[in-house]
Amino acid sequence: MIKISKLCKNFEGQEVLKGLDLQVNQGETLVIIGRSGCGKSVLLKHIIGILNPDSGQVQVDNQHVAALKGKDLVKLRMKFGMLFQGAALFDSLNVFENVGFALLEHTDLPEAEIRQRVKQALLSVDLLDIEEKKPAELSGGMKKRVGLARAICNNPEIMLYDEPTTGLDPIMSDMINDLIIRLKEKLKVTSIVVTHDMVSAYKVATRIAMLYDGKIIAQGTPEQIKNTTDPFVRQFITGAAQGPITDQRKLENGL
Amino acid sequence: MNAYLGVLKKRLSVSFEYVGGLTILLFRTIGWVFAPPYKRFQLFDQMKKNGVDSLSIVTLTAFFAGIVLALQSAYTMRQMSAEIYIASLVSLSMTRELGPVFTALVVAARVGASITAEVGTMKVTEQIDALETLATNPIKYLVVPRFLSLCIMLPLLTIIADAVGILGGYIIGVANLHISHHLYLKKTFDALVYKDVFTGLIKAFAFAAVISIVACYEGMRAKGGAEGVGKATTLSVVISCILVIDLDCFFTALFYFVWR
Repeated sequence: MIKISKLCKNFEGQEVLKGLDLQVNQGETLVIIGRSGCGKSVLLKHIIGILNPDSGQVQVDNQHVAALKGKDLVKLRMKFGMLFQGAALFDSLNVFENVGFALLEHTDLPEAEIRQRVKQALLSVDLLDIEEKKPAELSGGMKKRVGLARAICNNPEIMLYDEPTTGLDPIMSDMINDLIIRLKEKLKVTSIVVTHDMVSAYKVATRIAMLYDGKIIAQGTPEQIKNTTDPFVRQFITGAAQGPITDQRKLENGL
Repeated sequence: MNAYLGVLKKRLSVSFEYVGGLTILLFRTIGWVFAPPYKRFQLFDQMKKNGVDSLSIVTLTAFFAGIVLALQSAYTMRQMSAEIYIASLVSLSMTRELGPVFTALVVAARVGASITAEVGTMKVTEQIDALETLATNPIKYLVVPRFLSLCIMLPLLTIIADAVGILGGYIIGVANLHISHHLYLKKTFDALVYKDVFTGLIKAFAFAAVISIVACYEGMRAKGGAEGVGKATTLSVVISCILVIDLDCFFTALFYFVWR
C-alpha cells in the first residue's frame, strides 16, 4: 500500500505540490488526472524516490521512501516498474539490453534465462523478434511497448505509468490501455496511471483522483467522477475551454 | 553600489554552488569507483571512445605544436647562434607544459563535449530517471566509466603527444635548421629528467578528472530539451578549458616552488 501525506514540493520558488494527501490500495488501478504541468509526474517521481519532498512523506509498504538509502532503496525500487512518457529507452542499448536491464544489472541469472524472461516480457506486449534492434529503429508505439516490457521484466508489485497514451494514435492508445488492464489481471499489480486522456482513464481505472493546484481535489470510481458536480472536475473531464480552471488561471496571470 | 554588491554576491554564491556541486560529484564518483560490481566492458568501451578515438587529433595537434615551437624559438635563438638549445627547449616545453595542456584542451573539446551531449540528452529524455527506477545509480553507471577512462587515457595520450611534439621539433631542427641528427637527440634527452615527464603526467591526470567531472555534471544538470543540451555542452567545454588552464598554472607554480 502507498500512503502519501501532506506532500509539498517546489521548484525554484514555484510550488507544485501543496500538501497532497493520497492513498493507493493494493491491487487497484488508480488514475491520477490533471492538466499538463500540474505535478502528476512529479508525484510519481516522489513515489519511486527519484525526487525527495520538501515536506510531507511518501510511504510504500510502511517504509518512508525519502529515508531509504543504499541497498534498502534498491530493494524498494525493484518492487516498481515505471513506464515513462517518452518510454526513456536507453539509446545506446538494444531492445534486449533495455528490457533485461534490471536483471542484467542486479541479478546473477545466466544470460539464457534473462533472454527467456525478456522474450516473455516482449510477448506480453505483443512484440516478437526485435531484441537486436536499437530504440532509434522503433516506432513510437513500439517504443512505449518496449518501455512497458522493461517495466514488467523483473515482475514488479507496483506499476507506475506516466502518460502511457500520449503521442499515440487512438488505436495504439487503446492497445496500450488493453495492455495495462491485461497486465493488472495477469500480474496482480497495483497500478498508478498518470494521464489527461479521459478515454484511457475511464477504461483502465478502478479509482480516479484529480490533481489540481497541488492537491487532490476529488477522487472516486470512474462512474462517480463521470457524474460529479464539482465544477473544476467537470470542466476537466468535459474538456471545456471555459470554466473555473481557466478563469482561475486568467486571474493568476492578471488577465 | 548596493545593486552592484547584490549582483556580485549572487554571482559569488552561484560560483561557490557550482564548485561545491563539482566537488560533491567528484567525491561521490571516487566513492563509486571502489564499489562493486566493476563494469570492465563499459570501461573498455569508454577508453576506446574517449582515448583511442582521440589519438589522431591529439597526435596532429602535438605534431604541429612541436613544429611551431621549434620555428618560433629558432627565430630568437638564431640571433644568439644558440639553435642547438631548441632541442632541449622543445622537449622540456612539450613534456612539462604543452603536451599535457594541448592534449587536455583537445580532449575537453572533443570528449568533454561528447560526454555532456550524451549525458544531457539522457537527462532531458528521462533516461537518467529511468536508470534510477531500475535501481541503478547514475553516477556508478554513467560517471564512473567516463571518469576512469579519461584518468587512464589522458596520461597515455599525453605521453604520445610529448613524443610526437618532440618529433615535430626534431624534423624542423634537423631538416630546416640543419642541426645534426645525433646532436639534436642527445640534447633532447640530456635536458629531460624523470621529473619533467612525471609532473606532466600528474597534470594530465588532474585535467582528466576535471574534464570528465565537469562534462558529466553539466550533462546531469541539462534541462529544457535540445537547446538546454546545447547550452550545457558549450558551458562544459568553456569551463573545462578554463579550469585546465587554471590548474596548469597552479601545478606549474606548485612544482616550481615546492618540487624544484
